[in-house]
Amino acid sequence: MMKISEAISDLHKMDMEAGKHGWLQGIHPLPKLLVTVFFILTTVSYGKYDLAGLLKMGIYLIIGFVMGDISVKLLIKRMRAVLALVCLVGIANPLIDRKVLFQIGEFAVTGGMVSAVTLMLKGVFAVAASYLLMVTTAVEDLGYALRRLHIPKVFVTVLMLVYRYIIVLLKEIERMTDAYSLRAPGQTGLHYKVWGTMVGQLLLRSMDRAQIVYDSMMLRGYQGEFYLRCKKRAGAGDYLYAAVWVMVMLVLRYRG
Amino acid sequence: MNILEVEELSFSYGNAKEKFRNQVLNQISFHMEEQESIGLIGANGVGKSTFLKLLTGLLTMQEGRLRIAGLEMKKENLQQIRAEIGYVFQDSDSQLFMSTVYEDVAFAPRNYGKSEEETRELVMKALGQVHMDGRKDRQIYRLSGGEKKLVSIATVLAMGSKLMLLDEPSVALDPRNRRNLIRILNELPQAKIIASHDLDFVYDTCKRVVLLSEGRIAADGRGEDILTDRMLLEKHGLELPLSFSSTPKNKFLAI
Ligand SMILES: Nc1ncnc2c1ncn2[C@@H]1O[C@H](COP(=O)(O)OP(=O)(O)O)[C@@H](O)[C@H]1O
Ligand SMILES: [Mg+2]
Repeated sequence: MMKISEAISDLHKMDMEAGKHGWLQGIHPLPKLLVTVFFILTTVSYGKYDLAGLLKMGIYLIIGFVMGDISVKLLIKRMRAVLALVCLVGIANPLIDRKVLFQIGEFAVTGGMVSAVTLMLKGVFAVAASYLLMVTTAVEDLGYALRRLHIPKVFVTVLMLVYRYIIVLLKEIERMTDAYSLRAPGQTGLHYKVWGTMVGQLLLRSMDRAQIVYDSMMLRGYQGEFYLRCKKRAGAGDYLYAAVWVMVMLVLRYRG
Repeated sequence: MNILEVEELSFSYGNAKEKFRNQVLNQISFHMEEQESIGLIGANGVGKSTFLKLLTGLLTMQEGRLRIAGLEMKKENLQQIRAEIGYVFQDSDSQLFMSTVYEDVAFAPRNYGKSEEETRELVMKALGQVHMDGRKDRQIYRLSGGEKKLVSIATVLAMGSKLMLLDEPSVALDPRNRRNLIRILNELPQAKIIASHDLDFVYDTCKRVVLLSEGRIAADGRGEDILTDRMLLEKHGLELPLSFSSTPKNKFLAI
């Protein structure tokens, strides 16, 4: 099962990229999170025909991807499912909204076409911005930033646990399907007859392993909260980073 | 003071009302001194892991008494007891759950309210003790099996626990990592209980051996006596450690 081992190694690679010593990686997680949220909110606030305005917001992503040394190819590869979903959102608009906005030669561009593209772009921008945050920030740091923003403890804890358990689950799937395919040569995928047992087994095994993770946390003094601390303190540069971006985005949005 | 006192400890899996109860431990008693190392041996399924889990409170005690570092095992003392105990799981993969070595080892000190400087000191000391200080920024998933085991031990050392419990620590280690682990364990001053059916490993790490069989202690004494007693071991489903299994003549030939 190539897919699963790929998913595992992707998760790990993202962890690793977040640990790289790039410029963007070095920014304190809190301003980075704030800028990301602000970017997404600004992006969403654009009018449904304001494609030209929206495109300008792309500058944030371009600079972010360049400064963080992030591969766009990998973004597309990893997020293709989400991106595809996001692109489906506005697909019906051209059928509903047939008002002609302008002509390009013979071709009439309708409101539906523009709004469809705008909507897709908003989605793609939001995904790309979140991705940028994820690959430049370790989960622990992200959790820390969320707590600083007074996001309730439960949500942050759940986020951290989900992240850990997903890896546990994926590893278990990988182990089982590996063992299966080694004993079922020449077969692609799982035979439908074993699906039931496999799913049952998977559930039991991942519960077992999740239990070990939880026990291990309990034995090391876990009392319901991840004590997330950030290695670095936010300095003037970090605040400046947030301030500059917020200003640039405001100018692009209202003066551009 | 004894680090551990076990008095008539019994334990069964399954509900007390159920007809089918799997009695695993039956009136176990022994004491353990500070800085002592005990090898807990016995065939597979004899209850070694069950015993260790009782000491951590992961399994709830049913009958008997347990005193750990002077603390009676009961709910009110559980947090304190856990601070004194370091449990190294058989499965290091699941025991480690943070992203990097440093973060994982720092997990316990932070939970115990240490400042970031104190945490840093504890983490670096613990990693130094297992010779993994050079790997502190490594992603956990990129570690080898042997390194994961060492990091699991470091996570426990960083808690400053007085009693270390290790469940089958030598499983899945290659000979080099195994030797390395033996050396490191022998360097650590803490009291240790090493549950294992790898008798060679136990011989190299523990002076005292407790042999479990059918829920009871079948023997408790010096490793060099118990681990060389072929009759005793075979009676309880174990084999002589490899280092003793060859006759003197064979040994001579092997050299
Ligand atoms: N969660 C459980 N529920 C019921 N029985 C269990 C459970 N865990 C272990 N056992 C049983 O208890 C006995 C002792 O298991 P264990 O302590 O894991 O042995 P060891 O570690 O010595 O190999 C075995 O017979 C095992 O089948
Ligand atoms: Mg066991």
